[in-house]
Amino acid sequence: MTKSPRSLARAAGLHKSGRRHLGERAIAALLFLAASVSIVTTLAVIVALSAETVAFFADPAVTFREFFTAREWTPLFPATQRVFGISPLIIGTLMVTSVALVVGLPLGLGSAIYLSEFASARTRRTVMPILEVLAGIPTVVLGYFALFFVTPILRDVVPGLNLFNPLSAGLVMGFMILPTISSISTDSMQAVPRSLREAGYGLGASRYEVVLKVVVPAALSGIVASFILAASRAIGETMIVTLAAGQKPTFTFDLRETIATMTSFIVQAATGDQPAGSIASRALYAVGATLFVMTLILNVVSQQVVRRFGERYE
Amino acid sequence: MASQTVPEGHVTVRTDPVPAEEAVVALHDMSLWYGDFQALHEVSLTVPKNRVTALIGASGCGKSTLLRCVNRMNDLVPGVRVEGRLAYEGVDLYDGAVDPVEVRRRVGMVFQKPNPFPKSVYDNVAFGPRLHGYQGDMDALVEKSLKSAALWDEVQDKLRQSGLGLSGGQQQRLCIARAMATDPDVILMDEPTSALDPIATDRIEELIHEIKRDYTVIIVTHNMQQAGRVSDRTAFMHLGVLIEEGPTEQIFTNPQHEMTERYVSGRFG
Amino acid sequence: MSASPRQPSDAAARAGFGTPEERARLKRRKRIGRAFQALTAIPVVLALALIVTLFVDVITDTVSWQVVEPEESGVTWSFAEGARLGGTWEHLVRLELEARGEEPATVLDDPEERRKFRLRNRVELLWWVDGRPFRWAVTNSRDDTVDDVGLFRGLRERHEILAGLEDGQQLRLNPWFDAAFFRKNASRTPMMAGLQNALIGTLWVIGLVILIALPIGVGTAVYLEEYAADNRLTRFIEVNIRNLAGVPSIVYGILGLYAFVRLMNLGPTVLAAALTLALLILPVVVIASREAIKAVPSTLRQASYGLGATKWQTVSRIVLPNAVAGIVTGVILAVARAIGETAPLLLVGAAAFIPRAPDGPLSTYTVIPIQIYSWVAENDREFAHVASAGILALLIVLILLYVAAFWMRRRFERSW
Repeated sequence: MTKSPRSLARAAGLHKSGRRHLGERAIAALLFLAASVSIVTTLAVIVALSAETVAFFADPAVTFREFFTAREWTPLFPATQRVFGISPLIIGTLMVTSVALVVGLPLGLGSAIYLSEFASARTRRTVMPILEVLAGIPTVVLGYFALFFVTPILRDVVPGLNLFNPLSAGLVMGFMILPTISSISTDSMQAVPRSLREAGYGLGASRYEVVLKVVVPAALSGIVASFILAASRAIGETMIVTLAAGQKPTFTFDLRETIATMTSFIVQAATGDQPAGSIASRALYAVGATLFVMTLILNVVSQQVVRRFGERYE
Repeated sequence: MASQTVPEGHVTVRTDPVPAEEAVVALHDMSLWYGDFQALHEVSLTVPKNRVTALIGASGCGKSTLLRCVNRMNDLVPGVRVEGRLAYEGVDLYDGAVDPVEVRRRVGMVFQKPNPFPKSVYDNVAFGPRLHGYQGDMDALVEKSLKSAALWDEVQDKLRQSGLGLSGGQQQRLCIARAMATDPDVILMDEPTSALDPIATDRIEELIHEIKRDYTVIIVTHNMQQAGRVSDRTAFMHLGVLIEEGPTEQIFTNPQHEMTERYVSGRFG
Repeated sequence: MSASPRQPSDAAARAGFGTPEERARLKRRKRIGRAFQALTAIPVVLALALIVTLFVDVITDTVSWQVVEPEESGVTWSFAEGARLGGTWEHLVRLELEARGEEPATVLDDPEERRKFRLRNRVELLWWVDGRPFRWAVTNSRDDTVDDVGLFRGLRERHEILAGLEDGQQLRLNPWFDAAFFRKNASRTPMMAGLQNALIGTLWVIGLVILIALPIGVGTAVYLEEYAADNRLTRFIEVNIRNLAGVPSIVYGILGLYAFVRLMNLGPTVLAAALTLALLILPVVVIASREAIKAVPSTLRQASYGLGATKWQTVSRIVLPNAVAGIVTGVILAVARAIGETAPLLLVGAAAFIPRAPDGPLSTYTVIPIQIYSWVAENDREFAHVASAGILALLIVLILLYVAAFWMRRRFERSW
């Protein structure tokens, strides 16, 4: 009589315990459930933004043409005078972001070069936590700093500067994005293999020449990706601009005037009194959707830059 | 791996020593420490002009370290200490007044693993000359360097493509061309073919034969047959000491020191 | 003997290398190199300068000079009626001053007097009923402050101020950041404003955030590192998490507003805030936990499996205990971020002015950064002091958290 493998195993005490197996599978299912929360989150974001945005554009008071081309954004005006043109908000956002990038890019790249190539290990260990602290300062504190410290000083220097202006906000925001650029660029430069640096030295390059002509070009894709990521963070930033740049949508390219950004409008709309479902409240979602799409594109581009142009050193 | 010790105060066995007027690089009692570890023990060696000198020995004997002394690449290692004299054109290269950057312009180096820059072939070769302010016709210089490295025919219509797109052997020849573009007097080669296949190795050995007309070559190799094929003089090192040096043929057919004899006959290393 | 390279000798200097042009060129390159190196050190110095300036500015703003008068105790309320919602301040102040028997022009025409009036009086909208005029109250504050001067200006102008004091008035140094600050609550009056409710609100919200985000985040990390197969779904989840990490925080606020406040009808409660913030920091927790789990050497896992342990036994008894330090560090940093977040909570409806502290997940609330925001947004000199005090409190909490995180990271770095 032949016994089945299963009964043989059972006799030897080696069989699979049904209960334990069930327990393991239950745990695995639970963990998968946890992982799926992230997918649900993304879906929820997309639904939340698109549902109300669709309703926004479905309203007869709003047209695509007006949204993208009109130069005024006055959702709180009475119905006959309302204009829903998003350009003032986008221009305001871009003005602040540009100032931030002008400040943050050179500072971030400079500190990355210093930390990666010139600083001793001890200096690096002391400085990197400092940059982490800078990155950890809450943006509401930075907004306070911009409004109460930076703006008064700037008003003495720049004639005609308003109390709320994109220049002060942009300056402070530049320091906010500095750590992002610095840490990603430092990683990129550290990844450049020693053999390339040795080749540079071997040809008689001095130290700064190896840094500038061998290391930085080799790490360029990571550096550019960090710039794009920093721009994305600057565009999505809220508290500094709400407190220091203003909440007055204005179609202007003058850095001294009060403006509104996409984010500062969203705050204004949310802390106001518009009832849910009103068109003014839906405008909030439409602007939010625009913001989301912009930052998503930048984030994806930044990842693609690393993937496509990332240096193979072999 | 050899576990033989070297007796204290060993005196290098030299055959047919190189006369002073033929010397281009002369090391006098060079010692080097990495921290507390002494890697080179009072090595004295004269390298003749327009010849190929090979440094051989077991792993860890100090031959690469010695090579890197000649173009002061060891300076880049923290905690390194050097004593002794290294004469080049009558100047002690380790004198405080000498700038290592200048040294490296005149003493080129080719590394074990080909390391072209992630730039175009043209830009790789032009890198050195551009650094040092070359004013003349760069296209002609690039062509001349690539021809000297026996690579021109293969890349002449690929000059703008990335250097990384070449095969391993081609990349190494590109590195040789790059080193030659700065017009050095001496070229150091640190096991240049150990990462290449036999055919590529062969081509580079041929190349070495040709370039020694115009350059002095010091080559480190752990492949004794290669040393035998390629070099005019050979120096054998062990545990940081220069055991014996002399004409290559003599080292391989009639070594004077017993340790040399054991190494070249393959009994250790 | 001596280290290398040695002292320059004349012989070598004279012998030199190359032509004079070459040597000059080399000198120039060296000079450029030194300048370049110095240039790259500047950004770090600037960053440090900003942090120091920020701290000094905040700390010095928590103290101010005040001119005080003997107790004019009590709160006086007077009611006025205005026709419109906006633009009534002047009208109401005029009514009030006339009712008090004072000449309105002396206050309204002089900017300094206006400022002093604002220091001691608040004009608030009490209520309105459709169709009736708006009812306002002008409150005379409980404090006795006549004027408020910043720290440095007070130091500079001390003598003028002392000379200008009237009978019975005194000049005193007022610390805004004191123990009492933490016992007071939000108020329309700067002197009465404090952080208590905000502090309790923060504790409630953050407590719930940790409760929600920790298991989900670590669970996700464990799934991705130990259980997930290398297929398209797994890669999709990973890419998704990376994208979520880059979404601006205000978009999470919009999500919270739509999903938790409106759809799930939670309203502006602690629970809605906690869910929103938990989703915000989830990607951070996942990424940090994954790093910590990855760092556990596979040899340990092999040993565990070799002894006949199941996957979950290996994870729970070997992997997670050894990854705890890294996970805790990551969670501390994520919590530090959540504590300082303002924008999402503005959207989800954190009130800046609530009468009592939250007593459950479904009560209304305020948190420290929201409170700070409302104080800053008042754009009033005295409220700026209160805001600084709040900021100082927040920064101290964050510094403590960062120190804890760095200490953990350094202490457990050498485990292997």
